[in-house]
Amino acid sequence: MIARMKGEPDRPSPLDADHAAFIQGGVSVVVASRNAQLVADVVRGCGCRVSRDRRQVTVLVEPSRAGTLLEDIAANGRIAVVFSQPSTHRTIQLKGSDASIVRVTPSDRAVATRHLAAWKQELGSIGYTPDLAAAVRGAGEHIAAIRFTPSAAFQQTPGPGAGQRLAP
Amino acid sequence: MPLSPRDLRPCFEGAIPAVIATCARDGTPNVSYISEVHYVDAQHVALSFQFFSKTRQNVLENPRATVVVIHPDTGAQYKLAVRYLRTEDSGPLYECMKAKLAGIASHAGMTGVFRLRGSDVYRVESVSEVYGTPLEAPPAPEVDVTTLRACMARLSAARDLATLLDALLDVLQDPIGIAHAMVLMYDPRGERLYSVVSRGYAESGVGAELRLGEGLIGTAAEARIPIRISHATSEFGYGRAMREDAESHGLTAGLEERIPFPGLPESQSQIAVPILAGSRLLGVLFAESPATGRFGYDEEDGFMVLASHVGAVAAQLEDEPVAPADDDRTPRHSTPAPRGTPLRVRHYAENDSVFVGEEYLIKGVAGSILWRLLRAHLEEGRSEHTNRELRLDPAIRLPDLSENLEARLILLQRRLEERCPDLGIEKTGRGRFRFNVRRPVELAEIPR
Repeated sequence: MIARMKGEPDRPSPLDADHAAFIQGGVSVVVASRNAQLVADVVRGCGCRVSRDRRQVTVLVEPSRAGTLLEDIAANGRIAVVFSQPSTHRTIQLKGSDASIVRVTPSDRAVATRHLAAWKQELGSIGYTPDLAAAVRGAGEHIAAIRFTPSAAFQQTPGPGAGQRLAP
Repeated sequence: MPLSPRDLRPCFEGAIPAVIATCARDGTPNVSYISEVHYVDAQHVALSFQFFSKTRQNVLENPRATVVVIHPDTGAQYKLAVRYLRTEDSGPLYECMKAKLAGIASHAGMTGVFRLRGSDVYRVESVSEVYGTPLEAPPAPEVDVTTLRACMARLSAARDLATLLDALLDVLQDPIGIAHAMVLMYDPRGERLYSVVSRGYAESGVGAELRLGEGLIGTAAEARIPIRISHATSEFGYGRAMREDAESHGLTAGLEERIPFPGLPESQSQIAVPILAGSRLLGVLFAESPATGRFGYDEEDGFMVLASHVGAVAAQLEDEPVAPADDDRTPRHSTPAPRGTPLRVRHYAENDSVFVGEEYLIKGVAGSILWRLLRAHLEEGRSEHTNRELRLDPAIRLPDLSENLEARLILLQRRLEERCPDLGIEKTGRGRFRFNVRRPVELAEIPR
């Protein structure tokens, strides 16, 4: 029971197939952790991959942009990631407490490449140039991968339902 | 030199949303989007508090947070280490952010969803640029200190309120390059603003009125702060020109008694700044543009400098001695005798509104001045007048402050030029003018 509360692997994923597709699309990926003084750091990521059983999420970030985020994650495993689609404002936040830095695989690199294309297309639909879209997101040439088990997911689209927990 | 929030002002226009990362006391991080990060000063920013969120809960229990803002032209990112100080839910900062948020909401298709509950003020403890490959920065703003100085010299040269206000709109047009602008003066007795000069509109709209607190202009006047929006929004539209309650003035139904407010139908960016003489509100300078994001922080600074100079010059003009009532040096002018079919002019004592034929011309103080001038013409055959005699006339019911008379005369003069060129006011010296009547007039007084 305690293991379930902590979001250990036997807990059902809070993500359904629709959420999983959404967070792997052309959305902004913003990753936060915090240090020992409880000061949060944050970085814009460059892609996301969800495991087949939707229990594991891998987010990709550029280490050169990440400040102390990677050290913080290595130290305490706490993570919050917000995914948002600029054209619709649809927004989801995931939280986890077992985040770790994992080896970058070829499929991670493919995810980053696909994300850049989808992101440019998404921002293009609301009037931003591909160059500006790329400058905001970063080229994603050198990436690090952070994997975690989502223990909770929240709906954060602005409006009355914002802050509601997504049922597992 | 370390970066300061001042260097990041383009990032605070709300074009690309910022993010804030916070941490609960139990160590759980949170990250969230912020619609509006507002530049307060070189050490402070304010964030829009719109929803009772986890972010809000977190900063109340752990005030240290990290904000990332993005330059809307280059995509460069900046990280601000901030500390939550307080929330303001009224006052100048709040009003300013509320108006700006309305523009941001409109741009984002979120009108009605984004509502400002408060302005969360944070101290900025450090600013750093996030590594990246930003695009080239756009050219620096066109209004530099040298340009501003030249504009101020032109304003200082004004001899009276009319030339001062005209000079203000002229310098906005050239060299500053703002084509659509107007000045509204404040009527403290009626708590209204009325337009006296404008540029760039199909109809000048001189005489159009707004209530204090109504729309962008009324809010800037009431709170005595600059307000601007970067994207058109219905929430902070001009506020339609006011129409008085039919019962309160008792006029014949169907008579149009409202001067339509001028304005650009395709307006996107708008700015309104108060014109103050010390703490006294004289009026509002308003400008607009069909381009989005036309007025940024730098333009706001420039407008405030010009408006405060106009306020100081206007106050100085009030203090200058007025020419004596009877000055024999003034050459007597022989106005040609009125010719043609008579103009039928009606005056409603109820609210001093004046109609020429069936057309509404003016009301209020300006209406009572016109009525007095017309009667002096008919009953005394007199056309030379002084501001002093008007100020002393109890029938005109002028508010105490002298700039109100001057502003009313500008309004009346321009309204006559536009709507009734057979009557005219011509300045003949400081505090003196001539009332020209080019057609015979027939007056009808409609009592209360």
